Amino acid sequence: MTRTTYTLNRTGTYRYDIPATGEMNVPARIFTDEIGVQDLTKAESGEWSALQQLVNVACLPGIRKAALAMADIHPGYGFPIGGIGAFHPNEGVISVAGVGFDINCGVRSLRTLLTRSDVAGKEDRLADKLFEHVPAGLGSTGELRLDQTEIDKVLLQGASYAVGLGYGTPDDLGFIESSGKLDGADPSAVSQTAKKRQMRQVGTLGSGNHYVEVQYVDEIFDESAAEAYGLQPGQITIMLHTGSRALGHQIGTDYLKTLEQASKKYNIPIRERELVCAPINSPEGKAYYSAVMAGANCAFANRQVLTHLIREAFQDALGTPPEDVETLYEIAHNTVKFEQHEVDGEMNDLLVHRKGATRAFGPGRSEIPGRYRHVGQPVLVGGTMGTSSYILRGTDFGMAETFGSALHGAGRAMSRRAAKKQYPAKQVVDRMKQLGITVRAHGKHAISEEAPGAYKDIESVIDIMHGSGIVQKVARLKPLVCLKG
Amino acid sequence: MPWELLEHQADVGLQSTGATLEEALADGVRGLLSLMVDPSTVDRTQTFQVTATGNDPGALYVDLLNVVLATKDIHNVFFHDITIDTLEEEHGEWRVTARLSGEIIDLSRHAVDSDVKAATYGGLKVSHTEDGWLLRCLLDL
Repeated sequence: MTRTTYTLNRTGTYRYDIPATGEMNVPARIFTDEIGVQDLTKAESGEWSALQQLVNVACLPGIRKAALAMADIHPGYGFPIGGIGAFHPNEGVISVAGVGFDINCGVRSLRTLLTRSDVAGKEDRLADKLFEHVPAGLGSTGELRLDQTEIDKVLLQGASYAVGLGYGTPDDLGFIESSGKLDGADPSAVSQTAKKRQMRQVGTLGSGNHYVEVQYVDEIFDESAAEAYGLQPGQITIMLHTGSRALGHQIGTDYLKTLEQASKKYNIPIRERELVCAPINSPEGKAYYSAVMAGANCAFANRQVLTHLIREAFQDALGTPPEDVETLYEIAHNTVKFEQHEVDGEMNDLLVHRKGATRAFGPGRSEIPGRYRHVGQPVLVGGTMGTSSYILRGTDFGMAETFGSALHGAGRAMSRRAAKKQYPAKQVVDRMKQLGITVRAHGKHAISEEAPGAYKDIESVIDIMHGSGIVQKVARLKPLVCLKG
Repeated sequence: MPWELLEHQADVGLQSTGATLEEALADGVRGLLSLMVDPSTVDRTQTFQVTATGNDPGALYVDLLNVVLATKDIHNVFFHDITIDTLEEEHGEWRVTARLSGEIIDLSRHAVDSDVKAATYGGLKVSHTEDGWLLRCLLDL
């Protein structure tokens, strides 16, 4: 990989650019603050550099306006996490690294009719029931056993497949990005290996940073948007974070090889091997796109099944009727999609990659559910088990600046190994208990690796994004119960 | 240790060394297995034949790690160890065959740790010196 030293120039409020020089087709643009700039340039000399990764994205053919990164930027593989790249449909490329191996990983937020007093004193029971109902952690399997015919239906139908089996209701579908089903999925573009890996995994949470968290609304910042989203102070909400499980991982693995060959075939200059790509209109590019759409539908189905299991856990623990737990919204942060955006005064179809970045459409866009359209799309940002999460809203400014994209989380600040050393699990659990947060986890190091101190300060990251104008704060959520994989 | 985990802000690097490429490949797999589950808690009641390919030793390393992950999910098993059987190179195409020993997942006995989504080409490094082989790649957790 080519490594060099970069200077970040301040070009706007919380906006910094590396100008397009050399092989860069567009600037590399990061929304952060002075501290973020210092961190990024310090990390640049290290083994893995998020800045270098963003510059590499800026060099890809057909990229438009800028290679973008949000305040939660940190090193990934190929693309930085928090990275966005929008490409011209004829001149541009599609990249495995721009989506990641956990295709359509995302967050669903559920709002309930419960308040803090309904849960007070019952946190342990709720945590135990979530632990019992939601398959989580390495080696767990779902209650569904799907053969290949059924897997193909999942890949075509997405969340509606799960609803058809009785997992949740049709009302959920209207509040999922793309209604829980992306067009253009082709099960034949997905390998048998990928399908076989998934046969036991629909309806499982996974591990790592995936979680189910019971939260309460701590503060409302935007009354009008909060009213549209159905949020009130003290209300219990639930956040679910997971993706397409093994099927998505295998699609990424399979197409990494396909696109590596395609990069050579079409003479695409590749600055990092993980950043291999294919022209969007090439047979290889089209096949990968069809497979990603299928993988995305699998993730939609997975979160739909898990939503049902969460409702069961609430009913079991607190007697909450399932209809009292409504889908507020679901949004993905590992995606590639065709969208219409304005560039140089003209509306264009662009292929937008978001790797660890969330779609954040402003008011009026037809893709937003009617109930929310006048205030903008809900943007769901998960924090850590010990800190706040946020519900934000998309803005017109974000549409113009970032192709309607925003951050997806706090962003890791510390490696998993370092976190394991610094934060013994018992110490973390005890600290969480002091804060009134009940934690359950499967993996022996899950709690240490996901300790709040391993992440950037969510409040600061959110303030940057709010201050930039790309998104606006609607509500802050605080954790009560957290289930980790 | 013939394999070691490397610092990365979000994921983890897996580096493996060996006097021969076969040894480095096998130890890389052992590192992957140890990251997921304590191998000493996994019995060797079943054997699974696997094949991995690549257009260079780095791609072969990544493919072998991904084949292990796929075999785990498809058969719902954890592994205790790997034995490399053959390693061939013909016209720039590398191919390795191996046997994975393990058993059906039993969460009451197996001490699980981190799931690994995939081995990636991120940070891929291969070196071959008179001291032996070094293989490195980034794992997506």
